[in-house]
Amino acid sequence: MRGNGRIKRTLLGYIVFCIAILIVPIFISDAYLLNKFARYLVFGLLSVALSLSWGYAGILNLGQAVSFGLGSYCMAMALKLRTIPIQTGAGGLPDFMVWNNVQTLPWFWEPFHSYAFALFAGIAVPVAVAFLIGWFIFRARVSGVYVAIITLAMLVVINLLIIDQQRFTGGFNGITDLTTFELFGVQFDAYSTALYYLAAIILSLTLLLGFAFINSKTGLILQAIRDDETRVWYFGYDVANYQNFIFCVSAAVAGVAGMLYTLVMEFASPTFLAVPISLSIVIWCAVGGRASLVGAALGAIVVTGVQGSLSDTQAFLDTWMLIMGALFIVIVLFLPNGLISMLELIWRKKRPLQGSASARLVASRASRTGQATGHRAVSSR
Amino acid sequence: MTINRRKFLNGAAAVGAASATGFPHLWIKDASLAYAADSEIKVGVLYSLTGTTAIIETSLNQATLLAIEEINAAGGVGGKKLVPVVEDPASDPATFAQKARKLVVGDKCASVFGSYTSASRKAVLPVFEKYNNLYWYPTLYEGRECSKNVIYTGAVPNQQQKDFIPWLVKNFGKKFYLIGSNYIYPKEENNVCKILLKQLGGEVVGEEYVPLGHSEFSAVINKFKSTQPNVIFSTVVGDSVVALHRQYKAAGLDPKKMPMASLTTSEEEIAAMGGEFAAGHFTSAPYFMSYDSPENHKFVEAFKKRWGKDKVTNFVSEPAYFQVYLFKQAVEKLGKGDLTPPAIREASWGQQVKAPEGLVKIDPQNSHTYLWPKIGEAQTNGQFKTIEQSKEWVEPLPYWAYPGQVCTPNGLQEKKA
Repeated sequence: MRGNGRIKRTLLGYIVFCIAILIVPIFISDAYLLNKFARYLVFGLLSVALSLSWGYAGILNLGQAVSFGLGSYCMAMALKLRTIPIQTGAGGLPDFMVWNNVQTLPWFWEPFHSYAFALFAGIAVPVAVAFLIGWFIFRARVSGVYVAIITLAMLVVINLLIIDQQRFTGGFNGITDLTTFELFGVQFDAYSTALYYLAAIILSLTLLLGFAFINSKTGLILQAIRDDETRVWYFGYDVANYQNFIFCVSAAVAGVAGMLYTLVMEFASPTFLAVPISLSIVIWCAVGGRASLVGAALGAIVVTGVQGSLSDTQAFLDTWMLIMGALFIVIVLFLPNGLISMLELIWRKKRPLQGSASARLVASRASRTGQATGHRAVSSR
Repeated sequence: MTINRRKFLNGAAAVGAASATGFPHLWIKDASLAYAADSEIKVGVLYSLTGTTAIIETSLNQATLLAIEEINAAGGVGGKKLVPVVEDPASDPATFAQKARKLVVGDKCASVFGSYTSASRKAVLPVFEKYNNLYWYPTLYEGRECSKNVIYTGAVPNQQQKDFIPWLVKNFGKKFYLIGSNYIYPKEENNVCKILLKQLGGEVVGEEYVPLGHSEFSAVINKFKSTQPNVIFSTVVGDSVVALHRQYKAAGLDPKKMPMASLTTSEEEIAAMGGEFAAGHFTSAPYFMSYDSPENHKFVEAFKKRWGKDKVTNFVSEPAYFQVYLFKQAVEKLGKGDLTPPAIREASWGQQVKAPEGLVKIDPQNSHTYLWPKIGEAQTNGQFKTIEQSKEWVEPLPYWAYPGQVCTPNGLQEKKA
């Protein structure tokens, strides 16, 4: 049974979060801080992407950064082609290609002269790659830890490929020296309020659409798959299709995050699709609460925020990594469902005497079973 | 138990809330101040203390801090103290960009000393160009860059190779095998090497790039054996250097007949592989730890005293050290004038300092540095013996291999033929 009150309450939480991130520029006009917060929002979006597949469908994708990086490169390619190649003097050819003795623009770079194509590709390429990987994984009914291993391996392969093909990708240095993105006459400079709003609006829309989606029928089937895959097969659903679908949706969201990240950072680098960032996403999700989209977003913002602040503080220069590690352990030990479950705890503590006894009983039982599945999922996946 | 737990949760909530609003940093208060307060000048120090390149970059951080401490102990810069703002960009280009923003926009540093890899330099460039700040880059690199917002104090290809290649051809022969890690630096160095070899009538019998971090060289060594080059010209970097040297020796090759000539093997790599594997091979660089000059004795001694007896200096940490002195002189030249990064840049042109390697000078043309290339032979004790030294300082020519282009104070320009 679904509690309508609970859904309403949760939706309210989502809306509060969206409003909160949208009004930030009213209070902060410092360009550097806005840029920094925009970066956190992008990580939030990336974390939401993983939450969709991991939190709601039980697919632990350790290669989430593949989609992120591909989105980032698509955007960077479009921006690079519009940069006046002052560093090379070679008309129209990106500087790193000149350095690598490339004579003509490769065919797959050509369409990136168009922003419309780049924006499309930033979503379509990650989705296509995800679909292909997903098709093999889920058709073969691979699940659990093996999904994590395969996706991690894919990440490493694609990362190596990009570094190795430096004639076309800029290799180790990535694609740097980019022009400012412009759409409908608005300049999305890395330090502009416009870019912050773009990130905040995209994150808000994703959260709200995501919320509608996870409460739809498809969303429920996915959650059922997460809890017991075999059972859903026996119900007659084509589990593999559902899994691949959410895998692709997740890739699309990560692709969008990647495009935004290029705008915020002003370059694309193979480190955007390297193992460290991919594992960080899992940590953000775990800290925030992976079975909550807003929790995952919050987790990313809190973790990267604390990380940034700690490492910016001279006193913690030698110890910030240690402190981060300790914080993770504490949160995973004491809040296995993430920071967001704290809100639930507070909510329940506040109103212990309201409602009838039977309602409370049902509620507490529901939450207990909820926690139990949460625990199980953590330990088994 | 429950109380403790609730206490913890409240605490955690506070941490979360504080970070979500971004921890009002101390620097917000100073945001409106100029680049120098009454008695101090802030400078950024941006070298990775954690992550994959932490070992070498820590030595750069230490050399920079040593210079800053020495300058402060001797009365500072025109009476003002240098205040280093140290950040740890964790060997990650994105973090480099983020920290650069903090140093430039947040801390309002007058200049930033930083970077080892080209990837990290490329990542911070937009920040320095956007805010017209100044980045001091100490590493030898591939050239072909002409940013108005960087002072380059490391060697570019023409400086490392101009004397080295003719010397190798004269002493060992004309057949070269080029082996490098697969990224832009080795490719550029090899472009230069091939031009020089052509002029000397030399021959490239093999050119190969291995992935970064590659450690299995048996196939490569077989090719050495079959092509029998006179010189193996190596621009392999990082841990691969260690693997290559060890496997070279294990394969029974002889440095006397087929030496490896490197632009990247320093005292740090030799310390990692062991002196017996490096002995007999050659490196060209403007600086070796064993170099005999009063300035260098002083530098090595001070470095060891400050950071530990077992520490070694190298051809990247030496520029990281002397570039702070160049910065100091530039600021002193400005005197009471406006202390802004563009002013410091202009004041730095033509500045000279007696560095451990010899007298160096910033070229007013391209903001690179006149250096003293040397050829060193690695010894079993892990040090280099300086065999040859350039008779005069060598002009930096970042576009040496591209005659149509020249770096000027106004940026890159096409040269009319």
